[in-house]
Amino acid sequence: MKGYSVELKDLVKVYGGEHGDPRVGAVNGINLGIHPGEFFTLLGPSGCGKTTTLRLVGGFETPTSGEVYIEGQAMSHVPPYNRPVNTVFQNYALFPHLTVAQNVAFGLAIKRVDKKEQERRVQEALEMVRLPDVGKRKPAQLSGGQQQRVALARALINEPSVLLLDEPLGALDLKLRKAMQIELKQLQKEVGITFIYVTHDQEEALTMSDRIAVMAEGSIIQVGDPVGIYEQPATRFVANFIGESNFIEGVLGGTGSDGAVVEVGAERALIRPDAEPWPAGTEVTVCVRPEKLMLYPPATECNGLSGTVREVIYIGTDTEFVVELANGVRAVARLQNIDGRGLGEFAVGDAVRVGWAMWDAHTLED
Amino acid sequence: MAVRPVAADAGPKPVFKRPSLRERIKSSRTAWLYIAPAALIMLFVTLFPYIYQLFMAFTDYRVRNLRFNLLNPETWARYAPPFVGLDNFVRILTNQLTIENYDFWRLLLFNITWTVANIVFHVALGVLIALVLNSKTVLLRRVYRALFVLPWAMPGYVAALTWRNMYDDRFGAINQLFGVINRLIGTSFPTDTRWFVISEPPIGGLLSFLPLAFYAVLLANIWLGWPFMSVVATGALQSIPKELYEAASIDGASGWQQLRKVTLPLIRPAMVPAIMLGTIWTFNQFSVIYFISQGNPFGRTEILITQAYKLVAEQRLYGVAAAFSIVVFFILLSFTLINNRVTRATEAYDV
Repeated sequence: MKGYSVELKDLVKVYGGEHGDPRVGAVNGINLGIHPGEFFTLLGPSGCGKTTTLRLVGGFETPTSGEVYIEGQAMSHVPPYNRPVNTVFQNYALFPHLTVAQNVAFGLAIKRVDKKEQERRVQEALEMVRLPDVGKRKPAQLSGGQQQRVALARALINEPSVLLLDEPLGALDLKLRKAMQIELKQLQKEVGITFIYVTHDQEEALTMSDRIAVMAEGSIIQVGDPVGIYEQPATRFVANFIGESNFIEGVLGGTGSDGAVVEVGAERALIRPDAEPWPAGTEVTVCVRPEKLMLYPPATECNGLSGTVREVIYIGTDTEFVVELANGVRAVARLQNIDGRGLGEFAVGDAVRVGWAMWDAHTLED
Repeated sequence: MAVRPVAADAGPKPVFKRPSLRERIKSSRTAWLYIAPAALIMLFVTLFPYIYQLFMAFTDYRVRNLRFNLLNPETWARYAPPFVGLDNFVRILTNQLTIENYDFWRLLLFNITWTVANIVFHVALGVLIALVLNSKTVLLRRVYRALFVLPWAMPGYVAALTWRNMYDDRFGAINQLFGVINRLIGTSFPTDTRWFVISEPPIGGLLSFLPLAFYAVLLANIWLGWPFMSVVATGALQSIPKELYEAASIDGASGWQQLRKVTLPLIRPAMVPAIMLGTIWTFNQFSVIYFISQGNPFGRTEILITQAYKLVAEQRLYGVAAAFSIVVFFILLSFTLINNRVTRATEAYDV
């Protein structure tokens, strides 16, 4: 337990079960360790239990079973305001009747901190979020992005050791969201505290996080850094939820020095060998990202499979080629539009070879 | 700020000229056609009586003048009420009316006390019960909510007559209730209280101008009035996002602090207009006073509007009553204007 900023042990949260309501598992046994100073993201579609997990850490929900530890302390019987935690809400939750400064000072005022001290710290917090001059305004007079920063200042002024953020950028438009992503990440580095960030936006998660936990149906499917999550998704769900993927079913052959062999119909191709390889003859699903696929003329000698181009979709930066493989699976290859590559070279109906580097294809767990 | 003309030959004149009234009527002819029936009815049912009342207020309009008919010139000379200028108003304000126990300033003081006492209880009780029923742990809260709106949904005079019967000194439920209590726990409350006859004030000192009857009608009107405040408060409470409470609780605010710093300021924008409306209703709460206490004892629970009614019903002083109503109107108008200025009732928070 030691060394973790936040640790979740067999955490379970079940709703209902009273008055004959069906019991609904929101969180089904989560184990997780989050390091101090880490930017940790809970990523998943809506209803996957990520917000519930966050609320369990914040103390707004009590676990049905299991335990939340913050800095080594069991938190089950600690109310939200006694946890070294603060929360930034998706819709900011600023008090509309108070000025920005009063909002930020709210926690200090409750703790009856000296007025002068309050003023100083409010100014400090507002400067930290780069809004030094808005103290006298009401929240409604600020833009969405500014309100979000005020919410951040209000949380940070209480000097939590863990900050919980529940889709804090969800209500902002795309451009502002991107700018805020970078700023949030910088801010997190400056203050050096643990951020637990909940989002359903995979790009946001990849951009900001040190580590990501991908959740589905109340469970954690995969934990890893952005590169690991994207390059080696463990399951079909992760591969599909984060980016796009091609899934090619095949049968595992032997593993040689130059990679593992997978047999797809009558063809064979090389993929990255698993750390603990399954025995030969196992049916596996191979996952390859569309941008890792290359297209070659049919006779080319390369690692890959043969197929026929069925669709060509021009999407600006790239062109997508939908290729029907020999076993009937449709694979998508995305080629960047550089130097006429792909585009113009292959047309609907052409026979092609779909090639990839051995490292870019791997088997999934399911 | 230079306005650049759009058309080349438009010259320096503004490009968009406000259309003349005739042009505007012409362009909205269909709209006028649609509102004409309603406007016509409003003209005769609402606007004309107002204007006619204003006219009456400056005349000595009595029973014989009822024969005065604007459409029949033969009645004009004979039955036109004599114009008396501000005389009616002077008589009202200087207590020169031939009516029992009449004192305008005492009436006004009582009317204001009546209104303030009611509103305080309506709001306090309404908000309190709305808060209690807003907590999810209360069982059957939907049932309660439905029940509590009943007094408000009931016609005022029906409720008032029911209360009148409950206060009956011999057969009324309230005196009987005291009898039951006496039997059950051996107390000796009086069981024949004559609620609207006793003239000694139950509370002395500053409040000695309020007879027992005041507290009786107050109780009835509290019962009648708080559900409205409760409904408004419930609506306002339910529109407060729960994140605000979570945010406050993270910062260590106790339940009481959350109530004071979050709940009350946030229901205020909804409550202020409701209070203004409630004040006007209560100030003119005719049916409760007229049917329950009937102004007894000795006109000491009379309010302005019931007094105005008696001027017509008992004295047939139509002109004075019209003037009376105009006085009431201006009292309420000035209250509303001042209140609007002070509380900025129209100001709302963007949540």
